[in-house]
Amino acid sequence: MIKSRNRFFCLFLLFCIVPLVCYAEPLSDELELPEIFNRLQRAADETHSLSIDFVQEKHLAIFAETLISQGVFFYRQPDHLRWELLSPVLSGFVLRGQKGERWNGLSKETESFRIDRDPIMGIIAQQLLAWAKVDIDWLKSRYRIELLSSQPVRLQLFPRDQGETGFIDRLQILFAVDNSHVEQVEMHEVGGDRTLLRFENAQMNQPLPAEAFQAPEF
Amino acid sequence: MKIFSDCYRCFENRRRWLILALLLLLFLCGWQLSRLQVEENISALLPDGNSVVANDFQLLQQAPFARKLVVNLKASSDISTDQLLDATDVLRDALPPELFKNAISGPGEELGLALLNKLGLYLPILAETEDLQRIDERLASNQIDQRLQIALSQLLQPQGVALKEKIRRDPLGLESIALEKLRHLNPVPEVRLERGHFLSRDGRNALILADTSVAITDSRGGQELLATFATARQQLPSGIKAELVSGHAYTHANATTIQKDMSRVLIASGVGVLLLFLLFLRSMRALFVYLLPLFSFAVALLVVALVYDQVSGITIGFGAVLLGITIDFGLHVYFALRKESASTEETLRSVARPVLFGALTSLAAFSVLLRSELPGQRQLALFAMAGIASALILALVFLPHFLGKQRVNQQVFRLQIKTHIYTRMPLLRITILMSWFVIILLAAIQMQQLSINGDLRKLSYQSETLRQNEADLTDAWGNMRGRALIFAKGKDLQSALRTNEQVWKLLKVQDQTGMVSLAPLLPSQETTQARLDRWRDFWAQRRAVVEESLIKHGHAYGFSAAAFDPFWSQVEEPPHEFGVEQLRQLGFQDLLDNLLLEDEYGYQFISLLPDNPELILALEGQLTSLPGVTLVSQSRFGRQLSHEIGADFNQFILSAGLAVLFLLLVLFRSLRPLLLALLPVLTGLVVMFGAMAWLGLELNLFNVVASILIIGLGVDYGIFMVCHGQQEQDLASARAVLVSGLTTLVGFGALVLAEHPALHSIGLTVLLGISAAVPTAVLVIPAFQLKRH
Repeated sequence: MIKSRNRFFCLFLLFCIVPLVCYAEPLSDELELPEIFNRLQRAADETHSLSIDFVQEKHLAIFAETLISQGVFFYRQPDHLRWELLSPVLSGFVLRGQKGERWNGLSKETESFRIDRDPIMGIIAQQLLAWAKVDIDWLKSRYRIELLSSQPVRLQLFPRDQGETGFIDRLQILFAVDNSHVEQVEMHEVGGDRTLLRFENAQMNQPLPAEAFQAPEF
Repeated sequence: MKIFSDCYRCFENRRRWLILALLLLLFLCGWQLSRLQVEENISALLPDGNSVVANDFQLLQQAPFARKLVVNLKASSDISTDQLLDATDVLRDALPPELFKNAISGPGEELGLALLNKLGLYLPILAETEDLQRIDERLASNQIDQRLQIALSQLLQPQGVALKEKIRRDPLGLESIALEKLRHLNPVPEVRLERGHFLSRDGRNALILADTSVAITDSRGGQELLATFATARQQLPSGIKAELVSGHAYTHANATTIQKDMSRVLIASGVGVLLLFLLFLRSMRALFVYLLPLFSFAVALLVVALVYDQVSGITIGFGAVLLGITIDFGLHVYFALRKESASTEETLRSVARPVLFGALTSLAAFSVLLRSELPGQRQLALFAMAGIASALILALVFLPHFLGKQRVNQQVFRLQIKTHIYTRMPLLRITILMSWFVIILLAAIQMQQLSINGDLRKLSYQSETLRQNEADLTDAWGNMRGRALIFAKGKDLQSALRTNEQVWKLLKVQDQTGMVSLAPLLPSQETTQARLDRWRDFWAQRRAVVEESLIKHGHAYGFSAAAFDPFWSQVEEPPHEFGVEQLRQLGFQDLLDNLLLEDEYGYQFISLLPDNPELILALEGQLTSLPGVTLVSQSRFGRQLSHEIGADFNQFILSAGLAVLFLLLVLFRSLRPLLLALLPVLTGLVVMFGAMAWLGLELNLFNVVASILIIGLGVDYGIFMVCHGQQEQDLASARAVLVSGLTTLVGFGALVLAEHPALHSIGLTVLLGISAAVPTAVLVIPAFQLKRH
């Protein structure tokens, strides 16, 4: 009888605790996320320019092995970007407002584009600028955001956009301890492929020359 | 002409019956006119029936943008593209769907990616023989190496995540060949897409396209449509203007102009004729003559309203001209009866002969227009004939009873023509003849330069605003509304597809800039099967080598051996068909609605090409030799119409001339008076054509009517003057011809006031002709034929 009473008590606890736990998790997000967004936003507002190296690991089925590449990322307020891979293939793009160029070191070709006429480049540029500026409103409109940890800040994002859900399952973003920049991005694709980006050697608010936002000459 | 004097005697003591008959006629006219529906559009000016021109005109109405409501939004320089596109959405949503159906401002953002991802799958069906050659070139070892480099580079970039599956499916970039077929599907030459919206190349204009159930020729419906658009447009922010360009705006402008012209012309001609009467006649009895054209106008309208459901506004406007024609008969009767000392019966017997033959020649001249291709011209012919016939009866049967026997006071008629002045002043006679000869000679030389213009748009009223809107649309988007159309017809979809393929074979050897065709994207079943067979043969010969090359080069860039398995699946198992349904699913519904027509007779594909006369001439022969194919274009239509106007004109002039000659022969039975009677008409026509050429005017559809009118009136003047010269009695014909000529000029002068090009054109050209015919009748005929005494 005691045994059965204990079982009943355990079941009771289980039924009570599980909903509480389930309820507590988003409640915690709801309470903490606005504050965390504020912190991230404040830090981003103080970042007028950013120069950072990155290492990219591509775990894709299309490749025989994990493909590791290295590159640099420059940002200058409000809308200047440079994303450049230095190895194994020299390639990348720069963006100045609506216009930009992309290049491929193997074919030694440079091509101009406008983000309002190139939908894919438009989405990429919007994404990078949103992360560089920590544009919370835009990010919230595009993703359902969960807080995985608050110190350092680690967010998990699930795309809302129908087009994006076709490719991306979720993103995990890890910020630097001082919230000044993104330190790691992990992108899980729908088919199980994964890409990991690690950012290092961040230099904030250092003057960036105009050439930093020009395509290289081949 | 005893019948008229007998008739006069019969009713001399029974005038009440005549008055009763007139009142009855008036009542009938009033009752019928109260139910009259006035057609305010230009359809009466357009050819009907089954002629080539009529069929071409119907086909031109099928042009994609001829049936569309096109809204052009124009932003000032301080407006950003985003603001313009946002305003476009606001306006699109503000347009009520019951009037503006399927309003779209672009294909939507989804279309681009859907096409990119899906259309390429159909490459095996879309690839033509020359495309296989291009594919073969891309299979060379160095090309594969280069493509894989690009693929690797793309995969490492942030956009790689979106491109990965496409690279696996198409590592060699072959699908771009299928996407190239889309370049033949852009019906708006200067368009680019932004945020899923149509945007002009300069980024300053956006576009909204919509359908409507309001017929283009429905002026009331069009007015409501334009008013609704004007209300919706008020929601636009400052700096952005929007204009609706559609046939409705033209119909409304034409209807409004014709309405204004109708009242202006009728008032002006009425007042003008009244002034002439007061100036030359100054008799209460003359008011009966003045009433005659009003009666004949009412009878003409009654007859036309009985025959046609709707009466064209142009026909009613032309009524003002009829005032001028029909008053002539009354004037001749009036002057003869009021002047002659003989009995009324005798005078009536004398004057009836020229009046009857004058009316018969006018009737014969107008009757040839009953065979016209234009419903407007046929209606005008019936209107004129009914008016002339009723005026003849009124002038010879009714009028003599109301004129009395009092003589005209010679002092009152201050501009009296002295018929014998040539006897007293022979030099004047020679001067007149010489002047006439020189004018005829100059006009005859000048008329060689006269050209014919079949452009119907020149006969339609276009306000400056409409012209500007059309010009803005063309500047921003290219010539989207004025392209040539090729119709490929078939009783079922497959036969229409086959015909469309034959058309495309001819088109693709030309410069394809500005050409729009569904053929590159919609092959027939036979072509699909043939291409799939070729595709399999092609890869059967190459697969082993290419697969080895892909693995070898792919390995060098880190690709796995199975990386491109989806590509080989595509090669081995291509889709079986690509048809209308697949194209619709890819988002081309609107384009299909415009370029593929379906009715109870089958299917028709429309191809568009620039309306370039050289191109049209180069293709015309080959295209029209294909069964089920019709080529129509504004420029070709204009040429055809010009040709038909010329042919019609010759036929009308010849028929009218022969009829007039026959009647003149019956009347005079001698060559000399016959030739003399023809002098006013010949002079009128030659001077009219010569002056038109000198003024830089071109002969249009309505000048044909004008010519017939001059034949009718000119012959009348000739008959009256020649009869006057032959008879011993003084019928005061010169006076009558002068006053009736002036009356006609006042009638036509009023038409010159019309803003509508068709009415204005009639007025101006006949004014020229009558201005020459009247002096010829009054001055030149007496110079050749002095009156017998």
